[in-house]
Amino acid sequence: MPGSAWSLVIVRLLAAVGIAVGAGIVFGHPQLWVILVLAGYLAWNLYHVYRLDRWLRFREGTRPRQAIGVWGQIYAEFHRIRQLNRDRKKRLNRLLKEFRKSTSALPDASVVLNAQNEITWRNDVAQRLLGISKKDRGQKIDALLRDADFIDYLRRQQFDRPLSLSSPVDGRVKLAIRIVPYGTGQQLLLAKDVTRERRLEKIRKDFIGNASHELRSPLTVVSGYLDSLETDPEIPESWKAPIHEMVVQSARMRSLIEDLLTLSRLEASSSATSNEPVDVRGLACLVRKDALAAGPRKGEIELKLESEAGIRGAESELYSAFWNLVQNAVKYSAPEGVIEIRWRDDDDGGHFSVRDTGVGIPEKALPRLTERFYRVHKGRDRARGGTGLGLAIVKHVLQRHDASLEVTSELGKGSEFTCHFPRSRLAE
Amino acid sequence: MTRGTEELTQHYSRQFNEELEAIRTRLLEMGGLVERQLKRSLRALVKGNSELGEQVVHDDYQVNRLEVSIDEECSRVIALRQPTASDLRFVMAVIKSITDLERIGDEAEKIGFLSSRLATQERPENRYKEIKHLGRQVREMLRDTLDALARLDAEAALRIAQEDSNVDDEYEAIMRQSITVMMEDPRSIRRVLDTLWAARALERIGDHAVNICEHVVYMAHGMDIRHVSVEQVAAEAGVDL
Repeated sequence: MPGSAWSLVIVRLLAAVGIAVGAGIVFGHPQLWVILVLAGYLAWNLYHVYRLDRWLRFREGTRPRQAIGVWGQIYAEFHRIRQLNRDRKKRLNRLLKEFRKSTSALPDASVVLNAQNEITWRNDVAQRLLGISKKDRGQKIDALLRDADFIDYLRRQQFDRPLSLSSPVDGRVKLAIRIVPYGTGQQLLLAKDVTRERRLEKIRKDFIGNASHELRSPLTVVSGYLDSLETDPEIPESWKAPIHEMVVQSARMRSLIEDLLTLSRLEASSSATSNEPVDVRGLACLVRKDALAAGPRKGEIELKLESEAGIRGAESELYSAFWNLVQNAVKYSAPEGVIEIRWRDDDDGGHFSVRDTGVGIPEKALPRLTERFYRVHKGRDRARGGTGLGLAIVKHVLQRHDASLEVTSELGKGSEFTCHFPRSRLAE
Repeated sequence: MTRGTEELTQHYSRQFNEELEAIRTRLLEMGGLVERQLKRSLRALVKGNSELGEQVVHDDYQVNRLEVSIDEECSRVIALRQPTASDLRFVMAVIKSITDLERIGDEAEKIGFLSSRLATQERPENRYKEIKHLGRQVREMLRDTLDALARLDAEAALRIAQEDSNVDDEYEAIMRQSITVMMEDPRSIRRVLDTLWAARALERIGDHAVNICEHVVYMAHGMDIRHVSVEQVAAEAGVDL
């Protein structure tokens, strides 16, 4: 069709020129006739160009006028493209509107940031939770959320964990903030109201702490009487065994309660209680001595102290973490098994490790090791007298010292627990 | 609000523009730090947490360090760029605002110090209810001030400046009450005096916040409103309060 329209144009033009030449031959001055016909043709074309221009600029939406030949075709094509674009725009607008409506309806505050951390869009909840109003478009987010923790969070660009923050509008409202990078440097900031969850969590923690505390005093009385009963010579022989069992069990209960209290104390704050340099070498020697004193065993406990460095933190907390690791090593290896305590440092930081030649841990149990009361072998572990809280305590202490726990183990050969302390925590 | 930020963003020299923007960011970072110091010192006071109070005293150096570094940056911009008009106003206002922020930091430090001293003494029956109330008021005032600074919102700044009288009234009330308590029970004089000092520090923080608000108006409108009544300024600036 377009090809035929164009050949028609050429045929028409040739015909017009032919007629002009014919007229020139009949009436004389053929050049003049040709010029006249071409000028007329040019004028016709210019007229249509003018109309096209007017139509493109001012008469958006109205149907193009009819015109003969190739001009009609051009008008029609333009009209079609325009219609298409308009439909597309409408569809996009509708989509955008729906998207905005749905994000506005989100229960969480959401703010879209560009690469310079400037606010480009926010929903209505952001006003209520973060105090960011419609007028703040283009404003830097850290100008309005000025909390040092948030600025740190934004700068570090590590968003795998949400940040907890008090709402700048109302300090009692607790928020969990998450930032999701997307596209080219854009970021979506989501703030969720977690006041209720936090309160429930606090009630739970308080309950555990209080309950353990309340259980401690009656238990002390009971085990006190049991201790004196056990040594009482007038007790009949048949009662000896049950009383001894009661003494053992009440001791176990006491250590459970102690561990629970330690845990709830550790949970009460997120950072170590003190920041003094702790002598790790001394601590390692102490832990070894205590382990040897706890019971007779044939295997050696080796000390490999390759570093002079100390750790900045709380000594009592670090002691209980190291003690739990060594205690576990003793518990889960044969009496003649060798245990190695090692302290070294390199460019990454300090590494405190405890290696045993014991039973080892199956691989699928490794990720759950630090859960409270998690046991690899239900019956066997309880018989060894653990509380099931030791590694949970280790994990909490390490978290408070910015450290991490690494566990490698092979069934039947033994396990190695390594605490990695960052360089910033080391004290020379 | 828009006027000020537009002037900031539509600058001929991009680098200069970025330098000003960096100063603004640091200024508000300092503001955030001061806000946190105040929040912590108040918590230490009300909860009787001496450790937290000491922490506040210790962390004051961060505020001071920021003040010095922002001050240096401002001097550098003045020396190298010779800013004019709104840019000059901005830099001048920043230099003044950081002084006020630093003073607020000092007052928070003072509250932190007092709270660690008060923590060792008997707690009053009302558990510092009035101070808590005054503290909340002052904290909100500081927050709104910094928001106005971020948005260069002169209207909000004027409104905050007006609110300061509430803080003053509250302080007066605490003082009167303290006098009564001291007359009734002379043994409490030491404790009540310390509490009164804390209230006084809060009242001073309010005054410094008002100063910052004045700098905000100066930044936005180029109008010096120090030592002029708020109503007069509002009338001149054509702002409805």
